[in-house]
Amino acid sequence: MSLLPAAPALAQGGFVQDRSADAGGEAGCVARDGVCPSWIADNFDRYTGPLGEHVLLTVVALAVGFAISFALALLAHRRRWLVTPIVQVTGILYTIPSLALFFLLLPITGRGFLTAEIALVSYTLLIIFRNVTTGLQGVPSDVVDAARGMGLTDREVLWRVEIPLALPEIAAGIRIAATTTVGLATLAFFAGAGGLGDPIYADLNFKSNVLVAGGLCVLLAVVLDLLVLLAQRALTPWTRAVAS
Amino acid sequence: MPAETPADGPVTSDPAPLSFVDVVKQYPGADAPTIESLSLDVPAGEILVLVGPSGCGKTTAMRMVNRMIEPTSGQILISGRPNTERPAAELRREIGYVIQQTGLFPHRTIAQNVATVPRLLGWSKDRIAARTSELLELVGLDPSFARRYPAQLSGGQRQRVGVARALAVDPPLMLMDEPFGAIDPITRERLQNEFLRLQDTLRRTIVFVTHDIDEAIKMGDRIAVMRPGGHLAQYATPGELLLSPADEFVEQFVGADRALKRLALGRVRDLHLEEAARVRYGDPVAWVREQLAASSVPYPLVVDADGKPVAWLDEDDLRGERLAEGAGSEVAIVDRDDVLRDAFSDVLQHRVQFAAVVDSAGAVTGILSADAVARELAPGPAPVEPVGSGPTPA
Repeated sequence: MSLLPAAPALAQGGFVQDRSADAGGEAGCVARDGVCPSWIADNFDRYTGPLGEHVLLTVVALAVGFAISFALALLAHRRRWLVTPIVQVTGILYTIPSLALFFLLLPITGRGFLTAEIALVSYTLLIIFRNVTTGLQGVPSDVVDAARGMGLTDREVLWRVEIPLALPEIAAGIRIAATTTVGLATLAFFAGAGGLGDPIYADLNFKSNVLVAGGLCVLLAVVLDLLVLLAQRALTPWTRAVAS
Repeated sequence: MPAETPADGPVTSDPAPLSFVDVVKQYPGADAPTIESLSLDVPAGEILVLVGPSGCGKTTAMRMVNRMIEPTSGQILISGRPNTERPAAELRREIGYVIQQTGLFPHRTIAQNVATVPRLLGWSKDRIAARTSELLELVGLDPSFARRYPAQLSGGQRQRVGVARALAVDPPLMLMDEPFGAIDPITRERLQNEFLRLQDTLRRTIVFVTHDIDEAIKMGDRIAVMRPGGHLAQYATPGELLLSPADEFVEQFVGADRALKRLALGRVRDLHLEEAARVRYGDPVAWVREQLAASSVPYPLVVDADGKPVAWLDEDDLRGERLAEGAGSEVAIVDRDDVLRDAFSDVLQHRVQFAAVVDSAGAVTGILSADAVARELAPGPAPVEPVGSGPTPA
């Protein structure tokens, strides 16, 4: 692990690269660190465990991050002065390099899932908070005025009018956060939380390995993005209603 | 309105009288009040128009009725009870609310928009569905609109939905803030007319805000003209307002053409109509001259077999033995129910400044003269006689 000479202890993933499993007569390919299709086919199942960990890391981070951001956004919706401090604090969290954050957390939370999640959740906060806030502020004022004027209580205005109308913006925030989190979760390995970072850093020079693990990351990001997009389209049929 | 099932939640069907009692609104930190002690009474079932230039407090006054704005002091009474008696949200459900930008929910279908207040009040599904289609019909929208979204409607259609939504529970009181302000003039005129026709049957008490004096005159049973600073400059019926503006501000605001505006208030049937000699082509000229001498209109009117007006004759046409077929000039024809302004405009566009007033079948029922319109605009005890003429027929 020449990349991280200062932190050898971190680079202890559970993933042990086994190049001897190269049975397809591609010894040369593997030896040259090339892209070897039959090695990939034979060893693909080794990646399902890390992929599962990666999905868990990402989904939990998104869920927790969304819950915190959404609650903060609702809090700041009626108390506008809260927006600036929340953006500042989450902005600072966002700018801390993730590796640095792992090291800062290690003495407190130790190695493992929790440390990784704290970092991953921190990075989603700014994105989701800002999008929810923007979405709520973007609700046309005449619509809110009419809602109140017809006798909807503040709570009814929020849940029946403002949040539904903010959904496209909220979904956009979740999509950006999802893509970012899938990428950042590859670093969870340094916090000892596994994920696809584990195989990647186990043998960075072996192109087949990096290709499969990296490819799975990209695939996961695309799938999550599509899922959120589909959910949004199902929840906001009015956005596709055009003047006839 | 069909009878509502009483078991399914309350529906108030009597319009509510509305009173402002010494209502003041002053925002903290403001030098001058937005509303300076407003007191006025609106009888049940009438349209009060709040009109004035921007900054006169007309919208503020309206929004205090449903407590979207709370007054600094004073009271607003609805059916004699202070509007602060109940929680604001509960109060608002019984007050129709229409605003200029419509405020339709973009994420709800037209039917769902219209059903907003019935749903808040917990009406049954069947009752809501029945009421929704009834309301769409009432405001002249095809039932197929029910499942569309507001973005799929034109501005005029959206405003109709806004009115339908406000009428959903047949509220005793309605607030309308420049409801037709953002609509093109032709559609606006149509919506105004339709709304007045609707009001004829519904008889709601309505507070209507506008900056357009013509709209105020057209829509209002009573008009409150407001001056910047929240002063009530004058509170009167449209006729009184145009005939005797309280001060210079009101006079300026109603415009230099206020006499002509009064023409928009009257109808042809309200005026004293005159009679002309009615003749047919082929009648003996001597007989026509006899008839002419006995009538107040100095031109004989040719009518056809059904009594429909055909032409005015003048001196040149009264030659020979009998009236020649096709002689004479074009007749201005107005309906008994026409607004005076339109009728007068018609009269002015014809060489003979008398119009034939016809009934629904098109037959002549009387003659409208420009002079009669002038007398309507300048009523007074002493008739003004032209010098050197005989007595004018009354």
